[in-house]
Amino acid sequence: MSERLDEAAVGRLAPGLALALPRGPHRGRVGEVRAASTGSSLELHDFRAYQPGDDLRQLDWNAVARTDELILRVRQDEVSPRVEVVVDGSRSMALSARKAACARELALLACEVGARQGLSPTLLATGVRSERVQGSACRAALRTLEFDAGDDLVTALGRLPPPRACGLRVVVSDFLFEADLAAMAARLSRGAAGFFLVQVLDAEDLSPSGGEGARLVDSESGAALEELLTEDVLAAYARRFEEHQRLLRAAALRSRGALLTAPATESLDALVRGALRPLFVAGGHA
Amino acid sequence: MSFGFPWGLLALGALVPLVAAYFLRRRQKPVVVSALFLWRTPRPRAEAGPRWERFTREASLLLEGLAVIAAALYLADVRLGETARTKHLVLVVDGSLSMSARGPDGVTVLEQARREAAKRVEDEAATRVTVLATGLTPRVVAGPEAEPSRALAALETFEARGADHDPIPTLLWAQELASTGKHVAFFTDAAPVEGLVIPAPVRWTALGAARDNVALISAQRKDDGGTATVTLRVARFGPGPESVAVRLRALPGPDAKQGTERVEKVSLQGEGTATLRLTFQNAGDIEVSLPDDALPEDGHARLAVAPTRPLAVSLAQGMGSLERDALERFLGASPEVARDGASGEVLLIGPRGTDAKVTVGASGKSRTFVGPFFSEKGHPLLDDVQLAGVRWSAGENPPGRPLVTAGDAVLVSEEDDGRVHLNVDLSRSNVQRVSAWPVLLGNVVREARRAREGFVRRQLTLGEPLQLVTLPGKRYTLVGPGGSKPVFGAGAVSLPPPAAPGRYVLERDDADTVDSAEVLALDARESDLRGRSNADVPAKESGEDEARANASDRARWPLVLLLLALLGDFYVTRRAS
Repeated sequence: MSERLDEAAVGRLAPGLALALPRGPHRGRVGEVRAASTGSSLELHDFRAYQPGDDLRQLDWNAVARTDELILRVRQDEVSPRVEVVVDGSRSMALSARKAACARELALLACEVGARQGLSPTLLATGVRSERVQGSACRAALRTLEFDAGDDLVTALGRLPPPRACGLRVVVSDFLFEADLAAMAARLSRGAAGFFLVQVLDAEDLSPSGGEGARLVDSESGAALEELLTEDVLAAYARRFEEHQRLLRAAALRSRGALLTAPATESLDALVRGALRPLFVAGGHA
Repeated sequence: MSFGFPWGLLALGALVPLVAAYFLRRRQKPVVVSALFLWRTPRPRAEAGPRWERFTREASLLLEGLAVIAAALYLADVRLGETARTKHLVLVVDGSLSMSARGPDGVTVLEQARREAAKRVEDEAATRVTVLATGLTPRVVAGPEAEPSRALAALETFEARGADHDPIPTLLWAQELASTGKHVAFFTDAAPVEGLVIPAPVRWTALGAARDNVALISAQRKDDGGTATVTLRVARFGPGPESVAVRLRALPGPDAKQGTERVEKVSLQGEGTATLRLTFQNAGDIEVSLPDDALPEDGHARLAVAPTRPLAVSLAQGMGSLERDALERFLGASPEVARDGASGEVLLIGPRGTDAKVTVGASGKSRTFVGPFFSEKGHPLLDDVQLAGVRWSAGENPPGRPLVTAGDAVLVSEEDDGRVHLNVDLSRSNVQRVSAWPVLLGNVVREARRAREGFVRRQLTLGEPLQLVTLPGKRYTLVGPGGSKPVFGAGAVSLPPPAAPGRYVLERDDADTVDSAEVLALDARESDLRGRSNADVPAKESGEDEARANASDRARWPLVLLLLALLGDFYVTRRAS
């Protein structure tokens, strides 16, 4: 596994994958996928009363004859869904070079697969200098992405423009921060038809090593804590971590999303075939 | 500030690991984690957080250091200001003459006592010292509660020249001065005799040694005219020389051009005494000396000129012939009686009805008594007066307190001012022809002699009280080797035995010297050094210098400070978490 963005690995995997889009109506621009909004497709969406200014060609004359009221046929829009990839640019994502690389690779993979799928990828990175890029600019942005934000994802989202309606939103972060996880998930899922929380975790996040006393320093706030890393202390960490994961998972489900945990120690290929299988389904586009 | 237990300051050593741990932690390699909140509720440290929390570690270090210091101060029993620890030590030194005895190394017992006292003061770290000297009249040498240096300096100038005495009263006094639970150190030259009840807190330290000694145990001088008769008694205590040379040096008297010096060999057989009597002509003060031995002080005596002071007796006019003849016969045979009135004080004997000091005679109807006679027992005028076989004719009762009575007749009386009345009609009595007459008159003369201003005896030895006669209302000063002290005139006065031998002079404020007396350093019990020994009898009860006593006296404020520091540290660290 590379401790740097392995674009080659991404390039190898992307053609055979597709993003798992949600079955419900999507949101996005005009395209070939049914949208949740009304439009001018042939597929009927609904009927409503005529209002001045409506297109007279949409009047349902049969309904008019039956009811002596001007009834309008509302047709579904045929939209083209977008994929939005939100990357947490906080310092904890760079706890190790491998963790940072894994986050970049997963974000890039989502963008590449989405692009191949005809989903216009949009990348939002919440670093010190937050940025929003689209299309082919996502790769370059991920190459130069610095995980240097001193605040957590929830706080950093305030620096981003409001989320737009999209078909799929993939949030890449470690989600290891104290926050109202349910509110966070609700906010992140707003406007998205599908929603995935991809949690990238370092080996030390999953299973910290014990031993001597350590001066633990929070990667983002800089707060320090002297602790003797005994078995009891490590066990207590594990308990708290499990509890945090449970809450995170529940929050994701409540927002009709899914939490996918990606250990950075695994290769991209293993992640795609394992933990990230719900997101990256087989069957790609040329 | 003082420390009762300075070793307690070793607890300050705990500051070293405390500070080391503080800096060690600061240098501990930081481990960056993604989520500190998963480890514990984080305590913000210096790198971040509000200003208060930034210095939590430093505040905690200061409070913990303060706690260590407070604990060390408590363990060291710190005292501040007036509550600084005071350790009072009471020393008692035997003030008897035998303390001046020299050991085989030439060091006196008193000097050894001084050294031991200084060592005791240092060992017990005394901050206050009281030094008492035993004697017939215990006295304070230093203190109470003097500074140790002053007390030891006073002990350096102290000389032990007193007579033999019981030290227990002084030890009891020292016990009271020392207060409950404190030790008293007693330095003497002999172990306590068996059966002696020593006060419990007294540690008895005997520094003496058994030595042989030859001493003067008696020295008297009597001057009659120009002839001085010196009587000496020499005693040997222990096996020693069988003869000793007594040196006498007589300074020239008023009528002599030069003094004389004589050496007399005295044979001392066994362990007895020898008496030596010598006469000198026109001699002034006579110095007697024996060869120096273990106790040189008891081998020296200075005998001042001690002329007799005859009592001037005068017979008043108007006395009957019988009375005059009887009195003249007595006065002619009585020693040290002068008939002329040249001396200031005259004993006037007169007939009844006069203001003479002694009246002889009867008035009114005469009655004759042959007994029984009732006398006031113990009255000095009636010492050895036997009235058996006496026929006493008396007249009217004289004034004053009855001394001798027969029936309701008062035969001899004494007034408050000392006037004596002999209610006797010698024409009908035979008292003047029996031994009672000269004995009675001799007592009268003796009492009259005793009533003269000055010392009753001019030569005394150690331990004898100083008896003198003063004029009521007058102010006197007694000057002696130990200084001078005032004496208020109150007639016959008996002063405590002088603490040291030497010459004592009685001076009256409106006159020069009234009289002088010599106290000789002679005491057979003190000269006997055979029973001296070296011993150390510890006190029967433990003293205040045990650690237990200090627990209740320890200052509590370090504990309070310790508690506050710990609470503060707990609050600081708890609040940060």
